[in-house]
Amino acid sequence: MSATDTPKENLVMEHLVSLTYTEELTPILERYVDALIDGHIIGHKCPSCGRVYVPGKGYCPICVVPTTDKDEVEVSDHGTVTGFTIVAPVAYYGQTETEPFVYASVLLDGCDSNLGGQDIVGVPHDQIRSGMRVRAVWKPKEKRNGSAVTNRGWGSVASVIDAFEWTGEPDLERAKYEEHIF
Amino acid sequence: MSGATDIAVVGFAQTPAVRKARESEVQLLVPTVTQALERAGLDRREVGFTCAGSCDYLTGGPFAFVSNLEAAGAWPPISESHVEMDGAWALYEAWVRLQHGDIDTALVFGSGKSSPSKPDELWAQQLDPYYLAPLGVDPGSLAGIQARALLDAGKATERDFAEVVVRNRSNAKGNPNAQVAGDFSVDELLRAPYLRAPLRRHDFPPISDGAVAVVLARGDKARALCERPTWIRGIDHRIEVHQPGMRDLTTSSSTTLAARKAGYDGGPLDVVELSSTFSPQEIILRDALGLADDANVNPSGGALAANPVMATGLVRVVEVAQRITEGSAGRGLAHATGGQVMQHNLVCLMEGE
Repeated sequence: MSATDTPKENLVMEHLVSLTYTEELTPILERYVDALIDGHIIGHKCPSCGRVYVPGKGYCPICVVPTTDKDEVEVSDHGTVTGFTIVAPVAYYGQTETEPFVYASVLLDGCDSNLGGQDIVGVPHDQIRSGMRVRAVWKPKEKRNGSAVTNRGWGSVASVIDAFEWTGEPDLERAKYEEHIF
Repeated sequence: MSGATDIAVVGFAQTPAVRKARESEVQLLVPTVTQALERAGLDRREVGFTCAGSCDYLTGGPFAFVSNLEAAGAWPPISESHVEMDGAWALYEAWVRLQHGDIDTALVFGSGKSSPSKPDELWAQQLDPYYLAPLGVDPGSLAGIQARALLDAGKATERDFAEVVVRNRSNAKGNPNAQVAGDFSVDELLRAPYLRAPLRRHDFPPISDGAVAVVLARGDKARALCERPTWIRGIDHRIEVHQPGMRDLTTSSSTTLAARKAGYDGGPLDVVELSSTFSPQEIILRDALGLADDANVNPSGGALAANPVMATGLVRVVEVAQRITEGSAGRGLAHATGGQVMQHNLVCLMEGE
């Protein structure tokens, strides 16, 4: 049979890959989750440069020095939106959202790293802006758990804090957060 | 290897291999990278080029390799690269980069936490997506087919496999970073049941978490940093066809070719470290390299004693470099492998002054 005689219809093969991971949280993240469930947000303060990371990483990525429980600090549950996007979801495997939603980075007061992927409530989507002051909307204590916190470093708090809401305060001036966009 | 610039290993460090590290992969790397730089007496801000080897699939974290870079201190921005391969290939890239001649030092690291994943499930995805990956052919099954081919060709016996294990586990007793070590008898091992016939559990590597780092320096900089640099006399890697069924699994032609291209002339070696993750592979590699029966192979215990995937090959380089630096060896060869049943092989030939 020559190449031109072969059937022209596409051959389609379903091959959905599933991989299983079982992980324990690192000891630092276990303490982080316990504190979150208790209503406190904790991180590590670099003993060298003083920068605060939430959650703690066990080291400062700028100074490359280790940090431990001794470097633990609590930060505020108030913060500033440093950047955001409104996601118009498309239907792909695993996507459960159907309506446009907010994906914002929040810089908590007293912290140098952002919490990524936060929902912002209390204002329409078209009024969300960088510099906006927000505070955490905590889940009721009995509904909090550690399920959204993983070892993968995204810093999600979704199983403890539902969203951040506008406080009504004036926006923070750009110079005060522009070094902390990511 | 003519024309190549003199490049040496001047610092190194590794974590002990463990079944499950509670720390993150970056937490394993931070002290390891720091120790390697300290041993070289090099400030991280002076490093000319950084290259890392790791695999995001191991921990299931997309872009995990980016976080790993935090162990090198990536701010202010540094010149760096990453290979989704064993750290030995990161070493190769850094070696090539140093050939340019405009920088004098490079930092290389490899890391992997296999503990969160199911390696059998995961590594099947390394195979072609049409025929073998959907079947879920795991590395142990392919290694079993390879072992069977060796037996059928009359090149080895099951007793030979067990002898490899006994020797490596005994060697590992002197290695504080090894995970599996001790005295075993061949007869005792041969009484164990098959896991993937004709392979038994002890013919497999352990599942390991670990990290390793190496500092390279060029020419006079290497001599300034290190009393006894380990010179890389040649390094080369070669790859065979992807489909295991199209290869003669009882040989490793890519290892033979890589060794020749790296300048290995068959002369005496004081130490050889092989990434033979399944015991029959040591027999294949010894043959591919033409090693004498009494060659000093895997004094560390090799990959059968500790297999931090993505670090295993670079650990072999460190084990050789350590012996040359300490003066217990003058000339050594390290081997790294990637892909299924040793599809891709790297050989690094090293010497003291």
